[in-house]
This record gives sequence, C-alpha cells and structure tokens, in this order.
Amino acid sequence: MRIWNSEYTFNHNWDTVVTASWRKYPNPHNTSVVGLDVIDRSVDNEGKLRSHRLMSTSWGIPHWVAKFIGIQEVCYASEHSIVDPKSKTFTLKTRNVTLANIITINEELVYIQHPSDPSKTLLRQEAAVTVSGLPLCNKLEQMVTDAMSSNACKGRQAIEHVIDKLKKEARDFSLEAQKCMDNVLPKANSL
Amino acid sequence: MDSVGKECQDLKRKYDECFNKWFAEKFLKGVTEDPCTKLFNVYQECVKKAIKEKNLNLDAIEEQVLGTSKEKQPPSK
Repeated sequence: MRIWNSEYTFNHNWDTVVTASWRKYPNPHNTSVVGLDVIDRSVDNEGKLRSHRLMSTSWGIPHWVAKFIGIQEVCYASEHSIVDPKSKTFTLKTRNVTLANIITINEELVYIQHPSDPSKTLLRQEAAVTVSGLPLCNKLEQMVTDAMSSNACKGRQAIEHVIDKLKKEARDFSLEAQKCMDNVLPKANSL
Repeated sequence: MDSVGKECQDLKRKYDECFNKWFAEKFLKGVTEDPCTKLFNVYQECVKKAIKEKNLNLDAIEEQVLGTSKEKQPPSK
C-alpha cells in the first residue's frame, strides 16, 4: 500500500468553497470526469447532509485502444460525503468501482474552516493505493500516487475556477438588478 | 455535466439546479427541509434503471475485496 497526502489553503471562506465543490464539474481543468450522478442523499437527524454519488471518468484514450487492451472506456468511482454546517467540515471519501479486484484507490478529502482564519479554508487530502496480484505492484502503486499528485493540483484549480465563475455570476446578477432598479426608480420619482 | 443514463440528463439538470440553490441559500444557513425531494425521486428512478442496464453493482463495491479470497491472484510461476 502506498499513501499520499497533501494540504492546501483556499483564500475563500468555507461556505464559498463547499458551494463551489458541488458545482465543480464540468470543468476545463479536469475534463476526464464525464458524468456525475447522485445515488442517494439525505439530511440526517444531526443536520448533516449525506450524499452518495457515482462518478464516471474516461481514460482519455481512443475507443479502439480501450477495446484492444480490454478495459472499459468509462471508469466508475463511488463517493460518499458528509457536509456538517455546524462544525464547518466537508468530508468526501471516494473509491474506485472499476478494476476493484486488482486495485483499490481510497481517496479522502476534508475541507475545514481554517483554524486561525475563518475567511480561509483548509483542504486536507489523502489517498491510499493498493495494487494486488499483479507483477510490478510497487511500481504501479507509485505510478498511481504520482498521477494523484498531479490530479490534486488540477482539482484545486478546478475549485478556484468555479469560485471565479460563481463570483462573476453574482456580479452580473447584481448589475442586472441594479439596471432594473434604474429603470424603475425614475418612473417612481416622476410620480 | 452528464448523467450515467443519457435519458436522465434533463431530470438531473433540473434536480442539480434546485439542489445548488437550496444548498447555498438554505442548507448552509441552517434550513434542513429539502424542497427538491420530488425532483430527486423522479431523477433517481431514471438513474437506478440506467445503472442496472450498465450492469454496475454498487453494493459490491462497498465490500472488501483486497486481502480476501476474492482478490485477483498473482500468476503462478
């Protein structure tokens, strides 16, 4: 088993980051995620939001190559998450469904309000990779953890991208609202 | 973002819209009552059917495989 972990600070508050996380895909920074479905979702009696999602990702290889080497073109992963708005903690645990009898990739992401600065959000990320029953297991585990490391960077860029988009939407919306008011007010004044 | 079932796309989009709005404007502010349940149920029905058609067994992935007899064995020399 090989474990990989990292930490990152977003210069946005927890509410913003968590809201953006739900709207992370589609995203130009991570185009391999081609589908995302909610399988189950509920608010438990402690007020925490529990979700189970199915993620579909593509290898980014041509159809005939996938067929030739005998893998499915689309891979699936299962994600369980809990949002606790009281403690401002968002935990996501993801595990691969495809090839689960050969490799296990367990990834855990935790977004918490930064302990020393509430205007920031801390992301802790950990992944455990186990490859079994194949020659070069160690090499494969190393390859997967290397890939995770570069994907983690893309993941953060993806979140930043969504936050920018949401802020722009809010700005456009307030401009639009302002315009409406401008149209209404002169009339109101002339009455 | 696509759904696993192409036919569920529209239902998913409607549900996501409802959820994103509720999450940001209500849930984070302490309102736990979910107004999107109806949209969710219709979307669910569609997704569960699509998953079944793709022969994806979601229960199987919850169980432990590696380290048990279900694990793929190394080739014998």
